[in-house]
Amino acid sequence: MKKIEAIIQPFKLEEVKEALKNIGIDGMTITEVRGHGRQKGHKEVYRGHEYNVDLLPKIKVEMVLPDLRVEEALKTLAGAARTGNIGDGKIFVFDVAEAIRIRNDDRGESAL
Amino acid sequence: MTIVANPRSSPVSIRRNEVEFQDGASLLRGRTTTVDGQVTYAYRTLLAGAFPRGMALVAVGGYGRRELFPHSDIDLLLLVDKELQSDEQRTGLSVFLRSLWDGNLRLSQSVRTIAECTKFDTTNVELAISLLDARFLIGDSELFEQLADRLPKFFRSQRQSIAQKLCEMTQARHLKFDNTISHLEPNIKEGPGGLRDLHVVGWLSKLRETPPAPDPALDNAAAFLFSVRAHLHTQAGRDSNVLTFDMQEEMSPDPAVWMREFFRHARVIHRSALGTVEACEGMLSSGLIRSFRDWRSRLSNTEISVIRDRVMLRSPQNLFSDALLLFRLFEFVGRHGIPLSIDTERRIREGVTARTVALPDPAHQWSALKTVLSQPHAALALHGMDNTGLLGLLLPAWKTIECLVIRDFYHRYTVDEHTLITISHIDRLRTGSDPTRRRFTEMLSETQDPALLVIALIFHDVGKSDGLSGHAQASAREASTQLTCMGMPEEERLIVEFLVEHHLDISAVINSRDLSDPATAVDLATRVETLEKLRYLTLLTYADISAVNPDAMTPWRLEQLWHAYLAGHRELTRELDTDRIHARQPDHKSDWLEGFPVRYLRTHSGSQIDSHMQLASEAKETGAAVEIVRRSGAWHLTVVSKDRPGLLAGLAGAVSSFGMNIVRVEAFANNSGWILDSLMFEDPMRTLELNAGEADRLRQLVRKVLLGKEDVDRLLRGRARPQLPTRAARILPAVFFDNEASASSTLVEIVAQDRPALFYDLARTFSAYGCSIEVVLIDTEAHKAIDVFYVTHQRGKIPPELQSTLQGELLQVCAS
Repeated sequence: MKKIEAIIQPFKLEEVKEALKNIGIDGMTITEVRGHGRQKGHKEVYRGHEYNVDLLPKIKVEMVLPDLRVEEALKTLAGAARTGNIGDGKIFVFDVAEAIRIRNDDRGESAL
Repeated sequence: MTIVANPRSSPVSIRRNEVEFQDGASLLRGRTTTVDGQVTYAYRTLLAGAFPRGMALVAVGGYGRRELFPHSDIDLLLLVDKELQSDEQRTGLSVFLRSLWDGNLRLSQSVRTIAECTKFDTTNVELAISLLDARFLIGDSELFEQLADRLPKFFRSQRQSIAQKLCEMTQARHLKFDNTISHLEPNIKEGPGGLRDLHVVGWLSKLRETPPAPDPALDNAAAFLFSVRAHLHTQAGRDSNVLTFDMQEEMSPDPAVWMREFFRHARVIHRSALGTVEACEGMLSSGLIRSFRDWRSRLSNTEISVIRDRVMLRSPQNLFSDALLLFRLFEFVGRHGIPLSIDTERRIREGVTARTVALPDPAHQWSALKTVLSQPHAALALHGMDNTGLLGLLLPAWKTIECLVIRDFYHRYTVDEHTLITISHIDRLRTGSDPTRRRFTEMLSETQDPALLVIALIFHDVGKSDGLSGHAQASAREASTQLTCMGMPEEERLIVEFLVEHHLDISAVINSRDLSDPATAVDLATRVETLEKLRYLTLLTYADISAVNPDAMTPWRLEQLWHAYLAGHRELTRELDTDRIHARQPDHKSDWLEGFPVRYLRTHSGSQIDSHMQLASEAKETGAAVEIVRRSGAWHLTVVSKDRPGLLAGLAGAVSSFGMNIVRVEAFANNSGWILDSLMFEDPMRTLELNAGEADRLRQLVRKVLLGKEDVDRLLRGRARPQLPTRAARILPAVFFDNEASASSTLVEIVAQDRPALFYDLARTFSAYGCSIEVVLIDTEAHKAIDVFYVTHQRGKIPPELQSTLQGELLQVCAS
């Protein structure tokens, strides 16, 4: 099992969700986050005042999948989240040691 | 040993009976009788031997009131004459309690002496409250009689302390549920309007020397809630009190209609609880609170009085003859943030229900309502209008969303409550109490007419009564129809319709568009058309998201909303002077429009453009045309004339020389060399209003200035300078130049302490350096002037060396 953690542009969330749903992946956790990588921040001026916008709003998508589904999910996710511009985000993949469904104690891939 | 040996008291037989019961109250009584049987049977068989005397079983709390729901706790007091002494007694008690637990009764028991029961403990006020419902079950009746004899004296001596604690607990409990009954999935026990409120009414009544008369409406509501809670317990198989969406479907084939019935009963109970607590608090308030309330009572006037921090009418009978009294009353509530008294609310509700209250003719209702919506506590006033039924009477669309449950994972409240909460979020911005919302507070202070925002919020979801799909359009249609009937001017109505129809647009932009993409900004700017509408729509979105549930407006989302606003703002200010109207076919109208900024068409209605063209015809014959009118409390000066250097500055000087305060300026020029300038100004001394002929004198003066027959400097010479605020309160002037914002002009943004003739001095400075003002936007935010000029120099942008000189001069003007 692998955990996929993707940081994407907020406006790409619906597209990503839809694309994953189309390949049969429904379960995910979404978090509103802020941060920056190479995109860095920028300055904005409003009413004569400068605002530093150094932490940009992003969305974090997390999901745990059986090994066999990971590559397909990664391709789909990256394809849906891509605009080609700086700031599109990153995807990280982790090994998962165990998964347990709390309701009935199912373990392993059957708990996903 | 267990009690299940007695077949009539077996838990199985109880459950079977419960399903058959339809009437909640009889079910509770039946369940109580069954449990009484179980408890007394266990006492006789297991405990009586160890306690031949000196022990009485007393039912307290809900059990004492004979209100046992299928899975309620059984509150049992084991009254003893002295502390347990022998092992036999302790063992007997242990076996007795275990057997009841084994018989599936959830016991909540305590062992106490009479002295312990009649000693008030502030950390365990629940014991004293539970004793208000004490009922003897079995055992030493003489011992119970002793307690029963002492309890009245105990309650008399501790009445104030218990009642105060009860009021505090009720308020804290209501606060947990955001002080509203209108939750989509209400908790029918603990929530406002739930059974706990009913208990509070009962307890506080028992504590009073003369209990109030029974209320049949309250009894009906209680019976309804009893049935519902009994059903919830039976269906869930546990002490479950939340009326979930699934349970609502269980209750009726038409859950939405059934929920309205539920809320009707909950509202009766909630009102009764609030009234009882209010009456009680009036008697209990401490010296400090009383002093504050006495201070607030000084706000009373000849027709409205403030007593114990509640608003009352001095002569309620005037409700039936004075058509504007209700509006003045709610304006008072909205201005001072003091709610109506329960009694006044009841009187109005009765008058509204019977349609006997006097109201203005429908065509004049908007102007009356607008004064209420403009107040800093408009949400409180609207809550009062809702509670009395007045809001539904004035706006029939409101009735369609009353207590309306729309299933939505994120929403917490019914549609009407959500709407009222949106307005309370605007009120919080008005008071500026939250520093994290400062930017939005400033944005609100820049809007011309917050009442339009509030009325748009009232209508924004009324279309949901026909379902979620397309509700924004349905709401806009409803707003259009009703606001027309209420006499809202077309100019205002069009703004409200726009806001209602597009109330989801900015949310959609945030969720699905790249805010850094220039196309997003262009699209947003095209949709909102003007800065004013962008502000309204941003604030409406802010309030709408914030009212979904208390956690919906996260800092993340707030930031996204702000960025969407900034994107639209930048785009709208950027294109002010670049996008010009180019008519395809020359005609009278096209001649006039050719070369005006595109924004002119967006910000003016057809009738306004016609009126401008009439002024232009007049100007062609006489050289200059001037119009001065008063609209929505402010004066508007519109002029058409041939352009010449320094003309706008002269115009501003003429208006300032009359002591007027310019708050907004728009300047347009077409390709034929005609200018259209409009100034909105305030008349702080009411000179024009109180002196007939003064408006005409100002018109003549402006004409002379336009024709170059009057020296504006001479007019302003000798006028007294106002005293500047203290250094700490003074706004530091700032001047910014931006050559990137526009293709043809330099954008000059000036922030300064506002003062009379400031605009004239600024405009004159530009003229003195050979600069032409192409477009100007003036905003006044309290004492802060925020002026944006699009300026050219010799038909191009201002060169850097001149920028530096101008900056120094302008700063000097701002500081003088």
